[in-house]
Amino acid sequence: MSATVPDTVSERPGPVAPELSTFLRRATAYVLTLGGVVGALAAVALLIEKINSLADPDYVPVCSINPVLSCGSVMSTPQAEAFGFPNPIIGVVAFPVVATIGVLLLTGVRLPRWFWLGLQAGTLFGVGFVHWLFVQSVYEIGALCPYCLVVWAVMLPIFWYTTLYNLAAGHLPLPVSLRPVGRWLVRYHGAVLTSWYLVLFALVGQAFWWYWSSLLG
Amino acid sequence: MTRNLKVTIVLVAVATVAVAVLLVVSKPDSAPPTEAGPRNELGEVLVRPDSHRLSTAPDGKVTLVEFLDFECEACGAAYPAVEQLRKEYAGRITYVVRYFPVPSHPNAELAARAAQAAAEQDSFEGMYMALFEGQAEWGHRESPQHEVFLRYARELGLDVERFRADLDSDAVAERVRREQADGMAAGVQGTPTFFLNGEQISPGSLGDLRSAVESALAR
Repeated sequence: MSATVPDTVSERPGPVAPELSTFLRRATAYVLTLGGVVGALAAVALLIEKINSLADPDYVPVCSINPVLSCGSVMSTPQAEAFGFPNPIIGVVAFPVVATIGVLLLTGVRLPRWFWLGLQAGTLFGVGFVHWLFVQSVYEIGALCPYCLVVWAVMLPIFWYTTLYNLAAGHLPLPVSLRPVGRWLVRYHGAVLTSWYLVLFALVGQAFWWYWSSLLG
Repeated sequence: MTRNLKVTIVLVAVATVAVAVLLVVSKPDSAPPTEAGPRNELGEVLVRPDSHRLSTAPDGKVTLVEFLDFECEACGAAYPAVEQLRKEYAGRITYVVRYFPVPSHPNAELAARAAQAAAEQDSFEGMYMALFEGQAEWGHRESPQHEVFLRYARELGLDVERFRADLDSDAVAERVRREQADGMAAGVQGTPTFFLNGEQISPGSLGDLRSAVESALAR
């Protein structure tokens, strides 16, 4: 009777790569710490530029470098206040939390599943928001803001490694049929993240090709 | 080396090669060929006989040329300073406006055509001011802002039907393209770009502009 239990257990969703979860846990700890600090700095810089431009309408932000890299034109759009207040406020509040969680993980403390799922929800929102901003910035506004690029760049690995750890540790259950996919994603974590960056990089390159090529001409 | 690392390195290498190849392949037609010694011909490229002069100095001693994009934030920020300068140095400097609409600004080219269509009815200055003063109203909108520009034309007392026809005419579009090509030939890479007596200057403020003009006048 109890002999059938192992079979049903193996059929249930579970961790996709328990042997890699220790490595991913450390990787996630470092990514959250560094990503949280860098993201927080970029968000603070962006907020300061916003305050400066509110105080002086003629203020040209230091991050307005050329027609493409121009945070002035990005900051003044409605998309820069997606929720009715300047977006960097979200980053100023949320990135320090991410950094704190990273440091907490570096101490080796074990956190419960619900905590990890909370972090998963937060980073999912972050990465989704960042991609919406990417599309708005590249295709609607037609300019990039350097500090925003930094935020986008750190948001990707923060979300990615949180997700992978949650998959590897079984916090995010995957049905049996999808387990091989999960294992593959975990095994090629760096390659997948790099591809992700390259796709965004290629989209930026394509959208602003007229400008990049004119710099060489 | 893990397979993850190998795959990652290969990806980055392939992407780098792809970008390099694309840059080389697209290079010949990316920018109009600059003739030998562009400096000598810069004067001619910077100010054409039909270029729009918002102020004219009878002595022709100091000429300030601005390549601008009506939708560009920095141009909008420079606008009050330029207006102030125009007031202070009325009759002592020639101030020339050239169109340099940046392709990533959805309505910049249309705005330049609106200014040119107004110029066809001798109202370049009015449209130039209306476009900058209304920048917040029409800038950074994805949809074409014909209606806003038509309203400006109406407010300026222009013949609206003629304005509408000119706005979409090939001649006006061609004029804007020619000015843009002049800008490229002069080495303009962004907006606003100022040339004072043929020399590119990068003023950071009204004070910078004023002192550059002062020293040119004193020369």
